[in-house]
Amino acid sequence: MATKEDLEAFVTSVTCPDDFDEFWSQTLTSLAGEPLEPSVTPDPLRSNDDVNVYHATYRSLGGVEIFGWYSVPAIGEGPFPAILVLPGYKSEPALRRDWGRKGVAVLSVAVRGKLPSSSSFNPGYPGLLTSGIESRDTYSYRGVISDCSRGVDFLLSRPEIDPERIYASGSSQGGGLTLATAGLRPEIKGGVSGYPFICCFPESMKMLRSYPYDELSCYLRTYPEREAQMLETLSYFDGVNFAPRIKCPMVVGIALEDEVCPPETSYAAYDRLGGERELWLFPDSGHGNAHDYPRQETAWLEQRISASKAEAVAS
Amino acid sequence: MTSAAFWERAEAQLAETPLDLSVSRDSFYSQPEWDVYQVNYNTSGGHRLFAWLSVPKGTDGPLPALIRLPDYASVHDIIYTPLRHRAVVMNATHRGQRNSDGTYRASYPGLLTDGIADGESWVMLGAYADALRAVDALLGQDIAEIGAVALWGAGLGASLGLSLASRRGRVSAVAADTPMPLGHHSAVEPGLGYPLGEISDFLRANLGRVDDVERTFGILDPLGDAARVSAPVLLSAGRFDRGTCPLSFAEELAGALPDCDLRLYDGAAEGGGHIHAVARAAWLADRLGIA
Repeated sequence: MATKEDLEAFVTSVTCPDDFDEFWSQTLTSLAGEPLEPSVTPDPLRSNDDVNVYHATYRSLGGVEIFGWYSVPAIGEGPFPAILVLPGYKSEPALRRDWGRKGVAVLSVAVRGKLPSSSSFNPGYPGLLTSGIESRDTYSYRGVISDCSRGVDFLLSRPEIDPERIYASGSSQGGGLTLATAGLRPEIKGGVSGYPFICCFPESMKMLRSYPYDELSCYLRTYPEREAQMLETLSYFDGVNFAPRIKCPMVVGIALEDEVCPPETSYAAYDRLGGERELWLFPDSGHGNAHDYPRQETAWLEQRISASKAEAVAS
Repeated sequence: MTSAAFWERAEAQLAETPLDLSVSRDSFYSQPEWDVYQVNYNTSGGHRLFAWLSVPKGTDGPLPALIRLPDYASVHDIIYTPLRHRAVVMNATHRGQRNSDGTYRASYPGLLTDGIADGESWVMLGAYADALRAVDALLGQDIAEIGAVALWGAGLGASLGLSLASRRGRVSAVAADTPMPLGHHSAVEPGLGYPLGEISDFLRANLGRVDDVERTFGILDPLGDAARVSAPVLLSAGRFDRGTCPLSFAEELAGALPDCDLRLYDGAAEGGGHIHAVARAAWLADRLGIA
């Protein structure tokens, strides 16, 4: 099991490209040129007394249509605070109805490649992590992170959402995407990143044999001559390079027996966070299965959302 | 339709369906220590299924094998386990999952209730038949000679594994984590979260179909199946699970299994998490003779 001393002693080789901000600024500009075309379709089967559930869709980079589960409190006038829930690598986007009775809306995004957002981009699992990796402009995660940023735009387009109270959370890939999205979008006022993936790519792929990082090892075994290019591409998508750009409060949760996202690499992202930060360490827990994580995640977000409401009333 | 009648027909349909097995080495995902293959084969109802198969290099004679049965999710990927060093490992899918969705694509949520009030057209019944087909494909390939066969699954995969073990004497061990109680009354308890909560949603929206759902559920008989599992079973569950494997079901199931080692943890759907993962890996290695 990793110790906190192991985490603190870890040094990543990841450096931030000089034009990192320019690359993402250009990407967000391209994204802004795409019509959002937001839509919501009621889903009576999934709705209940606490929450109205909708199928949400919107357009993202390259015109790809993105699906999300959008749940809105059934009681109350709004505007409601909202949580952008970002998905794991291979798991289904979660339909979160539990926040409805707490007066919080949730958009749970199915990023491109994931059902049902896979009609025009579908590299598969495994496959997504190396798709288009030959260039930062073609890399799959340029689109995936754009899909998350566009989720913020979707929420901002909704009259029932309070634009000053948008939060983000996710685990594994969702944790990495929480970091990336919060680094790009100052509209996010706080987040919880659990067991974050896409952190310290060069080390992560060497520390473990498990997927998804092993997809990168497979790629290098097949194309050893492309290593420098691959690492250059990945540096534009690494969570540790988004972390310093995050100014909102952020939690990073780490399982010390994580066999999918090395704890040291998650800590490296935490260590570079640019705003108020909190670290949760879970001994004797593996990837995504710390017993206390869900409860702590809910409590932290509830506390932040509640405090933001009090601040709004006071002002 | 009774459970016995359903299975008699399901077995007959599988028997009359040519396996039409194809196996191709995947050079990209093969490792220095094991080769990875993409496997395709037919199942009943005109569906074609996909599986990942790994075979350790530099080994002779019959090899122990592990079938990892699919979760309740669209993706069932290669999944790393150190057992791949010394055992054949197959990650099988069922109809509707990614790469096995040429004729039917499952939705999540949605799969669990697709046809649930219409008896034998309940799609999940096909998933149970597909689990049987996974063993046929494993034993039908000619890349490796297969010795002992163990099963491992979580959630839906655990339920498929126990059903499969009750019908195939070749199975010598089952690691079942948080099995879903499909066919058991605990799956329709009020207040359950997803995935089991899908059934409650369906019943709330279709008040007149309760009896139909119960009849369909009766086709699966997890406790009756359990009594016929001769292989040892390592069963795990979380005491606070209210969406995948309610505690009451885990305990009842353990009581019905002739040779069961039940491990309960202070968790929810994640069951025993890392601690149980370590115990399970050692248990499987021991049962497969590669400890």
